Amino acid sequence: MNRQEILQAIGERFAEDIISVFEKSPKRVYIEIKAGAIVGLAQYLFKDIGARFNIASGVDGRNSMEILYHFTVEDVDLVISLRVILPKDKLAIDSLTPVFTAAHWIEREIHELLGIHFIGHPHLERLLLPEDWPEGVYPLRKDYKEWDPDAIRDRGA
Amino acid sequence: MGILDKAFLKSLWVFHLATGSCNNCDIEILDCLTPRHDIERFGMLLAGSIKHADVLLVTGAVNRQCIPRIKRLYEQMPKPRLVVAIGECALSRGVFMHSYNCPLPLDHVIPVDVYIPGCPPRPEAIMSGLMQLIEKRKAEAGSTKD
Repeated sequence: MNRQEILQAIGERFAEDIISVFEKSPKRVYIEIKAGAIVGLAQYLFKDIGARFNIASGVDGRNSMEILYHFTVEDVDLVISLRVILPKDKLAIDSLTPVFTAAHWIEREIHELLGIHFIGHPHLERLLLPEDWPEGVYPLRKDYKEWDPDAIRDRGA
Repeated sequence: MGILDKAFLKSLWVFHLATGSCNNCDIEILDCLTPRHDIERFGMLLAGSIKHADVLLVTGAVNRQCIPRIKRLYEQMPKPRLVVAIGECALSRGVFMHSYNCPLPLDHVIPVDVYIPGCPPRPEAIMSGLMQLIEKRKAEAGSTKD
């Protein structure tokens, strides 16, 4: 399949799940989808098209959070980013770890840094933060405030 | 200065600890060890274990996961022990000063003897700092000559 056929196949197969398609460049396509459709779409990209799961990135926006799942289709030199927008009062999405293990660590990292819950993740615990980090404090959120009274935030000069 | 101090200052073995630095300071430290700068002519040798080391070279901003590990390394060092902070990150955390993960500068975690600023410091600056460390230690050991 070439680039156009792949995008057409995705568009036909998931017509009601896709909100918008933004072709940024010949090598880069952003597809905004409904949160409930992520597992089906990722499965189709990974198993049927043969795309490679690169990484996911979480972004804290003003009114909502979004997760971008980046897939590379190496045969046609194309990066497909699936964009999912989550409302701030319901930060939960289905986990992709049952589909491919590569999502295991990045989902744990997004969980600890942004506080997004991944439903069905087999081991949703902290990845990088220390053991004594307080519960419910997510450092990459926009409204993060200093919580440690012992921290020193000047150069001492 | 007794014989022990004399021998100590002529054979400082250093242990290099990178607390997750960007590797720039580490490259400069390695540069000191190459034949061009050849820090071994001052008796300084890179030790493979902290238990064989006299000097602890620290590069990189100290993060939360690192604080207990640095303290443990410092406790494992045989006395007399010296600590050198190399680079802006180890001195004051540099651009990571407001990071959620870097609450303290290095000298609030363990006592530091010599600070070598720079991002990264040149090998000449590192050697100058180590010479000042030796001079400082000599002055502390007293001027009594045997």
